[in-house]
Amino acid sequence: MKTVPARAARPIPVKNRNLVTVRNLRRYFPIREGALQRVVGHVRAVDGVSFDVRRGETVGVVGESGCGKTTLGRCINGLLPPTDGGVYFDLGDDEHARLDALTAMPSEARTREQAAELERLDRTHRVDRLRGEAWRSYRRNCQVVFQDAFSSLNPRQLVKDIVGRPLKVYREASGSELMERVVGLLESVGLGRQHLYRYPHQFSGGQRQRISIARALALDPDFIVLDEPTSALDVSVQAQILNLLNDLQRERGLTYLFISHDLGVVRHMSDRIVVMYVGEIVEAGTRDDVFNSPLHPYTEALLEASPELAHDTDRRAGALEGRVPDPARPPQGCRFHTRCPVVTPSCGFEVDDAVRMLEGRGAGLDHLRGVQRRSAFEADLSFDDEEFAGLMVRVLEGPETPAEMREAMIGLTRSGSTVAIRFRDIDRVRLEEIRPAHVTSCILHTGQGLDPGDRHMREKNGG
Amino acid sequence: MLDAARPRVGGHRVRAAAVRLRRFASVGGEVLRNPTTLAGVTIIVAMVGMALLAPVLTEPNVPDPYQMPRDWGALNEPPGTPDHLLGTTQHGGDVLYGIIWGSRTSLRLSLIVVSVTVAIGVIVGSLAGFLGGRVDEVLMRIVDVFLSIPELIFALAIAAVLGPSFGNIILALAAVFWVKYARIIRGQVIHVKQNDYVDAARVIGDSRLNIFVKDVLPNSITPVAVQATLDMGNVVLIGAALSFIGLAEAGLAEWGVLVSQGQAGISAGRWWASTFPGLMVFLWALAFNLVGDGLRDVLDPRTERR
Repeated sequence: MKTVPARAARPIPVKNRNLVTVRNLRRYFPIREGALQRVVGHVRAVDGVSFDVRRGETVGVVGESGCGKTTLGRCINGLLPPTDGGVYFDLGDDEHARLDALTAMPSEARTREQAAELERLDRTHRVDRLRGEAWRSYRRNCQVVFQDAFSSLNPRQLVKDIVGRPLKVYREASGSELMERVVGLLESVGLGRQHLYRYPHQFSGGQRQRISIARALALDPDFIVLDEPTSALDVSVQAQILNLLNDLQRERGLTYLFISHDLGVVRHMSDRIVVMYVGEIVEAGTRDDVFNSPLHPYTEALLEASPELAHDTDRRAGALEGRVPDPARPPQGCRFHTRCPVVTPSCGFEVDDAVRMLEGRGAGLDHLRGVQRRSAFEADLSFDDEEFAGLMVRVLEGPETPAEMREAMIGLTRSGSTVAIRFRDIDRVRLEEIRPAHVTSCILHTGQGLDPGDRHMREKNGG
Repeated sequence: MLDAARPRVGGHRVRAAAVRLRRFASVGGEVLRNPTTLAGVTIIVAMVGMALLAPVLTEPNVPDPYQMPRDWGALNEPPGTPDHLLGTTQHGGDVLYGIIWGSRTSLRLSLIVVSVTVAIGVIVGSLAGFLGGRVDEVLMRIVDVFLSIPELIFALAIAAVLGPSFGNIILALAAVFWVKYARIIRGQVIHVKQNDYVDAARVIGDSRLNIFVKDVLPNSITPVAVQATLDMGNVVLIGAALSFIGLAEAGLAEWGVLVSQGQAGISAGRWWASTFPGLMVFLWALAFNLVGDGLRDVLDPRTERR
């Protein structure tokens, strides 16, 4: 997969240009605790994601496991209702523009007419609001192929029943006509009539994935979510399936959302790339822009981590260190600041970072009695005794603490055994267009909240 | 290629049925390859055969063949007596007649109890597992209450309250045994509904009922089949225990009743009236346990070969 063949340009059918429009999508999962199952917090699997998928293209979604890409796919498939925002299917060009205008403003700023207009758009295009005929039409046009070819086929059904089921549900065919259509579908994925009367367990992983694809194609959909469709396969089989998907796309004018953690595969498949980190998009753009001139340090680190793609070895970004943050308590500011190799004082340093730092300094946490937060950026840390509190202040002021964190600290005072610590307040970062159709949220590029005093950092990092 | 010929509509059905039958037969063949299971199956076939052929093997008692016949001229005859091959009871009842018609009683008891409890258990467990949430909470708390009482004691209590009759034994056993199935099927359903093929069916747009019937239930049912086989034996065992302590009508051609009525004579050397029916209870329970274990080995998903 080292050589990337040029993708043939596909003719765009004269239909709505935007097939899937994701706007401010949030999906939180409640964390329950105790006998009464009280909700004590939320895992923010998808936390404010917006992007478009245009007809006929493939949008690749990449990120480490746990970044919310699968949840995003499930929301788009209608398997999970969104907590906030939504997924809109097949908006007309005018409607798309209206939706953008309406969702860009805060909800309290909308006039009554505008709210009614948004409600009308929601009712006719937002997938979790669709009912009746509109829902059926969306269902037929939006299909899915899952990663696990073993769990995605019912082990008690024959192949003819698995592939023919969508046609039966919509009463498209029955009897021998149904069977002929199933055979046709099987043939289009490289299987045949001889496989009709077999059970899934009689097939290899690659063949099973072909059966899944045939089922997804049965209703002749416009759009298919491919959720890591080749991650569980051998490399040689992987290439066959990817080529099959490409061929099918060309023949049938399909639109794909391709979810994967494998950058090589995503590069092979996608026209445009969306990079996700802890529930947010950190960068998005065309395949060539994202791979050849990545803007966000996280994207660089991902590229760095896949050896065959690390094209520019003198790039500063090292391998990814540290853990992915807990999506129930995502970091402030830029969510990547806890692991970022080119972090600045304006990236969102917070109390959690200081606590984690002290934790790393051995005995720190044993002596930490409690953390009294006033905000994410301001808290009182109380320790066992004065001596220890003094020691911690010296650690936080000293060279053991990264210079960027020290600079972000605008208050550090000790009174008795309590240390009051305060960081700069940093807003959540926003995506901005840096180059045409190439967006990122990294403040080194957007300049959002970047302290003029930090300018030297920006130059140093070649941003 | 044979397949190239376009089969008629009926042809597809027949072919699918043949494939399914072959799969079923291969599971059956695998089960029977285990010698202890084969022994169990042999015993079951013999006992069920005896139950079905009861009117042929013995002259049915009139008016009610399920009552022991009384031969007042032959009390406490030992085994080997002409006309009374296994001897008679203190009331002049033929032990062989009791064994043969007792197998009918047992078969009736276990079939009714198991089918009723499987049906209730599967419905309750499926609702709890598939719907989840409040429904699950409520149903499972009820199940917990039932499970917290030992089954023999519970059945005893119910049967005692309802009064001594064979019908009430059936009721009591049914009230006790359904809980296990609810538990089993709920766990299975919760596990199975997380499979991607369930989500795939939702994405296709199939109805919840269809998804339950086609995807969830068929993949959840095997442990129930195993448990039901084991319970075919257990029901008779506990049923016999209940009749032994006098919760069935006296004079009923039932193994537990025979053991109970014969035990008084054991000290006087009249061992046969209790021993033969007791042996039947033992064989019945043993046979279904052997087959149940064999089924578990073959059907258990953890040992299932892909």
